[in-house]
Parts: sequence; structure tokens; C-alpha cells
Amino acid sequence: MADQKGSKPLMTGYMMSTQLMEVDGCNRCQECMKWCPTFAVRQDRPGITPMYKNARWRELMAKSQSLRAKIFGPKPLTDDEMKVFTEDTYSCTTCGVCGTVCEAGIKTVELWEAMRPNLVKRGDGPVGKQPFFPKLIKGDRNPYMAKQEDRLCWIPKDAKVLDSGDLFYFAGCTAAYRQQALGVATVRILNKLNVDFAMLGKDEWCCASALIRTGQREVMAEHAVHNIDALKDGGAKNVLFACAGCLRNAAVDWPMWYEGYIPYETMPLSVFLREKIRKGEVEYKIPLNYRFTYHDPCHNGRHLMHLKGKDWSFEAPRDVVQSIPGVKFQEMVRNRALQRCCGAGGGVKAGIPDLAMDCAMARVQDATDIQAEVICSTCPFCRLNLIDGRNTAKSPIKMVDIVEMMAASMGLDTTIPENPYTKFQSQDVLVCSPVECKLDTVERKEPGKDLVGEAH
Amino acid sequence: MAFYTLGLTFNLVIFLTVIVLAVWIYGIYFNFKKWGLGSTGYHDQLRNSFWLFLATWIHEAFKDGLWVFLRTVVLDVLLLRRTLARSPVRWVMHMSMFYGFLMLAALSGLGLMIDIVEHFNLLGLSAEAEMAKELLSLPFDIFGYLLLIGATIAVSRRFLLKFVRDNTSAYDAFLIGAVFLITVTGFYAEWMRGNSFLIGNAFEYPIYAPHFALIHTVLAIGLFALILPWSKYIHVIATPMTLLANRGGE
Ligand code: HEM
Ligand code: SF4
Ligand code: SF4
Repeated sequence: MADQKGSKPLMTGYMMSTQLMEVDGCNRCQECMKWCPTFAVRQDRPGITPMYKNARWRELMAKSQSLRAKIFGPKPLTDDEMKVFTEDTYSCTTCGVCGTVCEAGIKTVELWEAMRPNLVKRGDGPVGKQPFFPKLIKGDRNPYMAKQEDRLCWIPKDAKVLDSGDLFYFAGCTAAYRQQALGVATVRILNKLNVDFAMLGKDEWCCASALIRTGQREVMAEHAVHNIDALKDGGAKNVLFACAGCLRNAAVDWPMWYEGYIPYETMPLSVFLREKIRKGEVEYKIPLNYRFTYHDPCHNGRHLMHLKGKDWSFEAPRDVVQSIPGVKFQEMVRNRALQRCCGAGGGVKAGIPDLAMDCAMARVQDATDIQAEVICSTCPFCRLNLIDGRNTAKSPIKMVDIVEMMAASMGLDTTIPENPYTKFQSQDVLVCSPVECKLDTVERKEPGKDLVGEAH
Repeated sequence: MAFYTLGLTFNLVIFLTVIVLAVWIYGIYFNFKKWGLGSTGYHDQLRNSFWLFLATWIHEAFKDGLWVFLRTVVLDVLLLRRTLARSPVRWVMHMSMFYGFLMLAALSGLGLMIDIVEHFNLLGLSAEAEMAKELLSLPFDIFGYLLLIGATIAVSRRFLLKFVRDNTSAYDAFLIGAVFLITVTGFYAEWMRGNSFLIGNAFEYPIYAPHFALIHTVLAIGLFALILPWSKYIHVIATPMTLLANRGGE
């Protein structure tokens, strides 16, 4: 068995031919090594950095494709070297900062995401709990083993949500089952602003980001096609996202799996809300008297900036936060396109949880260095992972979503109606009286962790 | 030229040039074919073909139109905008090596052509060719110094900066060392002839000048022309092609 696999050459079919060229285009300038968030917490493993991964891929490929191999015959790949290379390739959150700084202009995220399916196909990847993703997602259409029928179970009775229309809100699995406070805040704000919007309900399937990120592409097509068709059938012209992971997948990945015309725009909720704030439609009542900093989710920032521009990716959420009364705002040293990843992405939280944890602690430290009291963001996974990092580091810093900040300051009732998933909620929240909002933490009532803690 | 005296006849030089070019072209073909082992598009079928690599590359490079392509050629390939954004020192280093090397290569090509004119007395221009060669010596010196400055910065960085040194592979060392060596032997050969730019006769040793020139030529031809498609130097092809395919990168 081991021999059989050992005799298989490196697979290349999932790489575009221009990506195989990119590997040779790495000129070994080492710039990426200065920025890589996983290398920053694993200094003893340079193999996980882009420069070394490229060099390694080149060597592994050379075993069957070099001039030497053509003349004297190929050399087999050993199990040991493939094991190390697989670990290295999966010790990456696909954060993309290496692509931003790469002097050769390599599109690194796409490159790592194209290396992985080749490893999966050869039987080397994925790692840790990642193999559960396709089973869970195909089985339940979400990664939390929850019922699709319960997608909207958290919507307050008096809230108004349509099932078709021009404007859609795509909540995503995490807001639906694990961070319902985010969903409730979103719905409340849109209602308050008299915005008519629709949701897909049980037809909202997981965005399937985890599958693309970890190289397990099979179930992906079903989800992309289903979600796009459902949104089209609902008459969508604009779709709002309060989850950076879903947004990236809907904007960047789904279209690559879809043959037909896509009639709608994908938009970060912060952009939509900023428009309302600028028009003077938002009325704040309660100040949030804390020192905030903003963490750019990779999926809402670097991954989006080429498609939607830097203003949408970086400035809109900041503008929203700074519009709220009482907020004292300060940037972390690494921000916007050069931000440091929280460590959850790329399947790392499910695959190599201790690595995700160490990255989170490094990011919490970034915020501590500027004496921030609260890290706000637009990604439920960054939030989850940063909370884990904060707990391990025993730091007093809190994590909230900017939508929840807005809802709190607008004085909206964000109570989550009792539902089968209430016991799974655990996050930092803003608890408000008519005059002030206080930060608090909700502990999960049902002990234990999700089978796969993180799906992006 | 000096090296003809060491048994390296004109015919031999032409012969070597042809061989080197043939190996070089085969090397490029070989790499394109290797890259062709990928697919033509995202989650597309594996095709495995030289032409499909080219087709994919052209498709990617011109995705945003000719204007973006040309802008990338100028800003990212010729002016190395991405390197400048990260490190001005490395930008100076690379710009010096890049333009020093390219101009020396171009001047050498020109020199060879003039040699051909001189050798066959084409159009009766033999005497003019001789003069033209004299004129080339100043630009040769200037771009030579440029290359020397760049190569010196590159070597020093690899020696002096601990992080850079620790992550330098034998490969990096060999290739940067090679550029440095070729440049230095080139200069030394020049200096030995005496009466050279800036240095004067300080290193004059005309008897051995041809030998040094020969070593320099063999190294240059061997390392650049033969190794280029087969080693890290493939970046000279692959990096600009990557920048173009990605229209400047992220
Ligand atoms: C358009 C073509 C080229 C592009 C886009 C390009 C790009 C690059 C980049 C971005 C680096 C990394 C520099 C750094 O460490 O910051 C590099 C390294 C290097 N390049 Fe080029 N290059 C090109 C052509 C050449 C040529 C013609 C030469 C010939 C001398 C050359 C020689 C080198 C060497 C020796 C290094 C290694 C320097 C070091 O790592 O210390 N390059 N190249
Ligand atoms: S994408 Fe991020 S984590 Fe992955 S190699 Fe690049 S810098 Fe490191
Ligand atoms: S920044 Fe890009 S070119 Fe430089 S070493 Fe990293 S991957 Fe290679």
C-alpha cells in the first residue's frame, strides 16, 4: 500500500499551467517570510512559508519531470517527504498576505488552494478533522449537524423577513446556528431602517468555503449552483453578507462553478449600512464608551480588494465603526492589506487547532500593544478564534461584530428568541440599558466543542 | 577580440553560440511543456501540452486588455514596482543587476554581429566595424560597473543579514555567487589589459589578460546560457511571465 502510493508521482492536474509557472517564478526574495502569520508562530518550521513551499513543490515535481528524470527515469516520492509537505501546505490559513507582498506577483492563495486538491487526490491530504467537512456538508448542507428547516429559527416573531425580492441577506451557517446575535442584530437594523429584504431559509446552503480552502472540491459545485439558483429564483439583485467567509465564497468562488449568468451583486453589509449612515437614516442613541480596534478579516479584505476595491474592503467597516458615538478608535500596526490573519482560515482551525490558537494569541497581542479594549470585525470565524486566543492568553480584550455594535448603539432589542440552538451560543455581547452599553460574555450552556469548530 | 588568440577561433565562437542558443531554446520549450502539465482553467481538465500552456498564459495576460498588459510590462517588469514597494535597497540591487546584465548581453550580441561584419568584411565595412567596437568599450564599462554594484549588494546581503543568510540555500549561494564571479572575472580581465576606465594601469598584466577573458567568457556562456532555463535563473523568464499573467499581481 505504502509502496503503491509512493510510486504515484505528484499530481498536477488541479493546478493551472500558469500556476505551475508561478512556482518557478518565485525568485526567493524571502519577503513573504516576514509576513506569514503561521510562520511567525512556528519559527522552527520555515517549510510552511511560501518560498519553501514553492521550492519543495519544484523538487517534488522534478522527481518525475526534470530533465534528469526524463533521461534516467523518475524517482519515487517517499511517504515521509509527502507527509511533511502535506503538513506544510496545510499549515497555511490562506490569508493571502504573501500574495500582497510577493515580488513576483504570485497569486498565492489560489496557488495553495490549487496544490491541496492534488494532495487530496493522491491520498496525502487533508489533515486533522478536515475530512469531516465534505461528509457533514453534503449530509446536512451545513457543518454543524443542524437541521436546514431551523435556518430561520432565531428570527424574532415581530421581525419582517420576506422570501423573495430585490435585496437578500445571506446569513450563513454560523449566524444561523452559533452566533445568532449577529443574525438578530442584522435583521433588527434592516427592519429599523425600513429596508425590505428576503432570506432563503432552508434553501440557504452552506457557502462551502471550507471545501475549497482544504482542497476537497467535490461537493462544492452542488452548493455553488444551488445557492446561486436559489438567489436567482428569489429575484435577487443585491445580496448582503455579514459573514466575510460566505461573502468571499459567493463573490469569488461560486461564480467559477457556475455556467450561467449571475444577475445579482454581492455586497458586504458594512457597505450597505455606511450608505444609510451617510444619508442620515441611522439614529444612534447610546454611546459605546470603549477603545476599539478593527481586525480586517482576510476574506473581507485582501481577498476582496481586487474585486470590489479597497474602499469596500477596508474603509466601509471602519467608517461604520467610527460613526458610532463614544467609540475611541485606533489601528493596530498591521492593518488593511498587510493585516495579520487571526489564524482560523484555510481549514487550520479544524485541521491544526494549536496553530490556529497561536496565531489568534499573536493577533490579540497586536491589539493589546495598542491598549485596545475591544477588537471588532465582520467575520464570525475571526471572532470565534480570537475569543479562543483571548481565553488562552487570559487577556481581558473582547470581540464583537460591528453590526452588533450598531444595533446596540441604535438601542434595538437584540434578544434571541429561545430555539434549539440557544444552548450553543457563546460569544462576547453588548448589554445595553437606555443610557449605556456594557460588554459581557455569554458562556456556552452545552459543554464541548463542535465536531469541526470552524468552517472557513 | 583578445580571446581569439587562445585557440578560440572565430568559427568556434560562432559554433558555440549556435549550440548555446539551441540548448537555451530547448530549455524554454522544456519548461513550457512542464508547465503545460497543469490545466487551462480553474478546476478544468488536465491537458498536458506545450501549446495549451501558451494559450492559457496569453488568455490570462490579456484578460484585462492590451493597455493593462503594457502598463504591467512597464511598471512591474521593467521598473520592478513590487520590489520597490517592499525594499528600496533590494530594488537598487536588482535594477543594477537587471539593466547591467541585459545591457551587457545586448552589447555582447552587438559585438558579435560587428565581429561578423569585420570577419567577412561585409559591405567593405571592416574598418568601420573596428572603430564601432572601440566605441562600445565605454558603455561596456558603465554597465559592467552597474552589474558589479548590484551583484556586490546581493552578495553582501546574503553574508551580512542573519535572517537572509539563514534562509539562503546552496542554490541561492551558487547562483548569486556565479553572477558575482562572472562580473568580477570580466572586470579583472579588462583591468589586466591595462588603461581601463577608472582603474588605469593598476592591474595591468597583458600576457594573462586573454586567459582571464577566456575564463570569463566560458563562465558567462556556461552559467547564464546553459543554466538559465534549468535553474533558479528560470525566474528571468518565469517572474516577468508571472507578473504579466497576473497583471501585476495582487
Ligand atoms: C524582467 C525580468 C526580471 C524580473 C521581473 C526579476 C525579478 C526579481 C525579483 C523580484 C527578485 C528578488 C529580489 C529581492 O531579493 O528583493 C530577483 C532576484 C534576483 N534576480 Fe531577477 N528579475 C528579472 C531579471 C533578472 C536578470 C536579467 C538577472 C540577471 C542578472 C537577474 C538576477 C537576479 C538575481 C541574481 C537575483 C537574486 C538576488 C538575491 O536573492 O540576493 N534577474 N529577481
Ligand atoms: S497565505 Fe498567509 S498563512 Fe498561507 S503561506 Fe501565505 S502568508 Fe502564510
Ligand atoms: S515573496 Fe514571492 S517571490 Fe519572494 S520568496 Fe515569497 S513567494 Fe517567492
